[in-house]
Amino acid sequence: MRYFLGLIMLVLALSGCSDAKPSIKENANAEKETNVNEEEEQVASTSTELTPPEGLTLKADNEGMVPASIEIPALDVNTEIEKVGRLKNGQMGVPKGFDTVGWFSEGAKPGAPGNAVMAGHVDSKTGPAIFYKLEDLERGDEIIVKDNDKQTLTFVVTGKEKYDRKNAPVDKIFDYAYGSKLNLITCTGNFNRDEGTHEERLVVYTELKN
Amino acid sequence: MNKKMKKAFIAVPLSVSLLIPTFSVADAHGHESHSKGHMSAEVTNPAIDLRASLDTLLSEHAFLAVVAMQKGIDGKEDFEAAAGQLNQNTEALSKAVASVYGEEAGMQFKEIWSSHIGYFVDYVTATADNNEEGRKKALADLDGYRVKQADFLDQATEGRLKAKDLEEGLKVHVDQLVWAFESYRTGDYEKAYDNITEAMNHMFMTGKGLSWAITDQFPEKFENKSVDTPAADLRADLNSVFSTHAALAALTMQKGIDGAKDFEAAAAELNENTDDITAAVESVYGAEGAAQFKEIWSSHIGYFVDYVTATAENNEEGKQQAIKELDEYRAKQAAFLDTATEGRLKAADLEEGLKVHVDQLLAAFNSYTGKDYPAAYKNISEAYGHMFGVGQAMSGAIVDQFPEKFAGEKPSEMPKTGMGGMSRTNNDAVMWSFFGFLLAALTGAMVLRKKATNN
Repeated sequence: MRYFLGLIMLVLALSGCSDAKPSIKENANAEKETNVNEEEEQVASTSTELTPPEGLTLKADNEGMVPASIEIPALDVNTEIEKVGRLKNGQMGVPKGFDTVGWFSEGAKPGAPGNAVMAGHVDSKTGPAIFYKLEDLERGDEIIVKDNDKQTLTFVVTGKEKYDRKNAPVDKIFDYAYGSKLNLITCTGNFNRDEGTHEERLVVYTELKN
Repeated sequence: MNKKMKKAFIAVPLSVSLLIPTFSVADAHGHESHSKGHMSAEVTNPAIDLRASLDTLLSEHAFLAVVAMQKGIDGKEDFEAAAGQLNQNTEALSKAVASVYGEEAGMQFKEIWSSHIGYFVDYVTATADNNEEGRKKALADLDGYRVKQADFLDQATEGRLKAKDLEEGLKVHVDQLVWAFESYRTGDYEKAYDNITEAMNHMFMTGKGLSWAITDQFPEKFENKSVDTPAADLRADLNSVFSTHAALAALTMQKGIDGAKDFEAAAAELNENTDDITAAVESVYGAEGAAQFKEIWSSHIGYFVDYVTATAENNEEGKQQAIKELDEYRAKQAAFLDTATEGRLKAADLEEGLKVHVDQLLAAFNSYTGKDYPAAYKNISEAYGHMFGVGQAMSGAIVDQFPEKFAGEKPSEMPKTGMGGMSRTNNDAVMWSFFGFLLAALTGAMVLRKKATNN
């Protein structure tokens, strides 16, 4: 990732140079020849024998990724990710498949600062779906998310909560955060036939493993 | 609504408060094209303004730190003034912290924050003395600083910013400054200037994180507004590219008149910044508009170079000519933006705003050549702050013009992630979906029993 960014920056740097207005370059040269400050050029005057420090980070590695697949070893889950959005009624969208997971693509990317959110069905009309056993996850369990560029991010479960479907802290679940989080949502509780939905929602909270 | 500078929660420093009125969006909300109160489509509210204020202070800190380190190692006459401006920035930041967390916290913050500037000075001094031990000690001190600073902010924000994440973020900041300095010292100027841009840009993330934590902690003081909206991000992105322009322009002019070896690299970075701004324009107004913009925008950089060259040649006429061309530039640039934003930014206001920008950069340069260094750095600071007004005005106009691009609302309800096939119903806790039961039986998934009893 960092190499990739470095490459982009290099390309930008090169194109930036070649794009330079001719007048700037000409003037720059003219200026060098006719430097009015007749004092000698003041440049870094120290020896370069000193050892530059190692292991420096040029850029925070937190662009995040567009997730393509999710693996939850503790649940034996390994599936593809669909992008979902926000429905007209304000609900987070859900994946079309019962064996896939939906990522709220208008929100944070996994690995970027903020709460990335993914939802999966607990059941279909006829049987269990991908997040059927989500509530079995325990603190410390790992969630592995991959993109299409072979990038892998591992998140660690930090907690889980059940909320009444109408009283979940939606703002918090989708809020910005300084760290990188991934929240997994599914349904739980009794199924309300009249409303056609479960009475509760389960949220498993995870954060990026260092 | 833009003229009505709401009293910001934090003490807005002079450099920030100076900038907005002359360059405001012309009654952007007079249009009836979209519903008012669309929360995510506003670029200014107390929360977003806090974010912008912190972005200003934090990114200017990074810029001034890099400059002071360069001037320090070169033993330049303006080192004291650059360092002085950096200290003023620390004052303003500490005041901001005090306004949120109280006087005592402000003092504590100032002590910790100042310490890291001190360690950078130690690093530069040790480098000048060829003192490897001293350099190592300074780096170790910076490591210690990161822990303290992270701990302070974790406590202040009551854990909204986690010390672990903060330490990582602070490491990037420290490393960027060390790297910028090392690249400069060893003559890898291209890298040095890449790092300046990165170091400034990084602080916008810090500003977002900090303003998010504060507004989350004291929501009622910020009208329960969020700093995390597409419109707010646009404002921050434009603030970043425009303020980097001012910073690099001022520094490049200094390097030019000094005939410094890093002039070319500084100028190249300034051109890269032009590309960044052009890319932003393109994303909104398309390739053709962007090309036009780039031509006009680059021309004013060229005229500044002309001014520097004329100064170097003691050519008064050349200087006047450059100023005349800058006047003409202002009219062109203003007309372009007026047209692009369909009158949301008025040419007359824009010309005024651009005059401020041009005058600030010229004043900064003239003070520098006149050896009035405190004035030079005061001018640079004002020029830097002014660009945040530009970012606000531009983003306000763009969001008003293309509201649908900035709707990006978050969900207000949880997803409907179940069809009930495997669940009890609230009507009859015993009854299972027949098909579900059948399927469960068929697949022999006996775990289901556990699920049922849990429910």
